[in-house]
Amino acid sequence: MHSLSPPLRFAALAVAALALTGCASMKVNSYLERGSDFAGYQTYGWAPADRMETGDPRLDNNPFFHERIQADVEQQLAARGYEKTASGVPDLVLHYHASISQQIDVSGADREAGYCDANDCRPYVYEAGTLVLDLVDTRTNKLVWRGWAKDSVDGMIDNQELMEQKVDEAVTRILEKLPRRL
Amino acid sequence: MNVSSHVQSGIDFARYRTYDWGPADALPTGDPRLDKDPFFQDHLLGAVEKQLAARGYERSASGTPDLLIHYHASINQRIDVNRADREHGYCYEDDCQAGVVEYEAGTIVLDIVDTRTNRVIWRGWAQDSVEDVLNNQDRMAQKIDEAVRRMLARVPPKLQSP
Repeated sequence: MHSLSPPLRFAALAVAALALTGCASMKVNSYLERGSDFAGYQTYGWAPADRMETGDPRLDNNPFFHERIQADVEQQLAARGYEKTASGVPDLVLHYHASISQQIDVSGADREAGYCDANDCRPYVYEAGTLVLDLVDTRTNKLVWRGWAKDSVDGMIDNQELMEQKVDEAVTRILEKLPRRL
Repeated sequence: MNVSSHVQSGIDFARYRTYDWGPADALPTGDPRLDKDPFFQDHLLGAVEKQLAARGYERSASGTPDLLIHYHASINQRIDVNRADREHGYCYEDDCQAGVVEYEAGTIVLDIVDTRTNRVIWRGWAQDSVEDVLNNQDRMAQKIDEAVRRMLARVPPKLQSP
C-alpha cells in the first residue's frame, strides 16, 4: 500500500469496500441496549412467529422464505457460540419481522453518478425489503439488541434463488453487528 | 401479468396423483367486492380444477388425497411512475411529466400441500393490475383463467403420463 499514490490508494480502498459489501446498496444497522453484557448469554429460542403481514402476499405464510431466514439465523448464531435451547427457558428470545414496501427513487443516485442528464433522470418505483431481528433478554423481558437490513428487492421474490441469496446476505450482515462475546 | 413460483427443492411431483381443496382461508382480500364473492371463487376453483385435470391430477372422491390446494386472493393499492406516455410517443422528452399513478393490483396465491408431511411444497402466484377488472365479470373471468393457466404451467410436470 505504501507505494501507491493517493488516488490509487483511494481506488484500492473503494474496491475493497465494494468487495466487502457485495452489492453496496444494502443498508445494515443495529441498536444495542446500553450496558448489556452479551458474555452472559448462552442460549436462545425462537419467539412464536409474528402475525404481522409482510405487506406482500407472495411472502405471507411463505415457508420457503421463512424457513430460509430461520435456517440462516440458526447457522450464524451457532457460529458465534450460541446454543438453541431444546428445553427450558433460554437466555434470549429471538423475534424477526420482514416487510416489503414500494418506494419511489427520484434517481438522485443516477444523476450524481452521471448516468443520466438532468432532463433524463426519471423517478422510478422499486420494492424495498426490510428484515428486523430482535433479541429479548428473558430475565428482564427487555429488548437488548435490534439489527436490521434494508435493500431493494426488485424482481427477487419472483426468483427463488435470488431471494435466498438476498436473505443469506441480510442475515449474515445483520448478525455481524451482534456484539462479540468475550 | 407477473407470474412466478417457489418450490421445495428435491420434490418429485411424479408421486402425486390426487388432490382436494384445503379449507378456505379466513384472510380478507383487502377489497369488499371480492370477500366471499361466489362468482370469483367458483370461477377460480373451476379454472384450477380444469388445469390440474389437464396435467393429470385427479380430484379425490374419497379418502386422503396426496395434495391439498389452498388459495388466497388479495387486492393492494400500488404505485407506479408513469413512463408509458413517453414510450408511446404521446409526449416529448422534456414534456413528459413523471406522474405517479396509483392502481389496484390483484394477487392470487396458490399453495400445494403434501398431505403426508403437511408441508407446502409449491407456491405459485400471479399479479396484475385489476383496474376495470373487478367491475366487469367477463374480464375478471379472463384474468382468472390466464392467471391460473400460467401459474399451473409452472408446476413441475409429472414424469409418467397419467
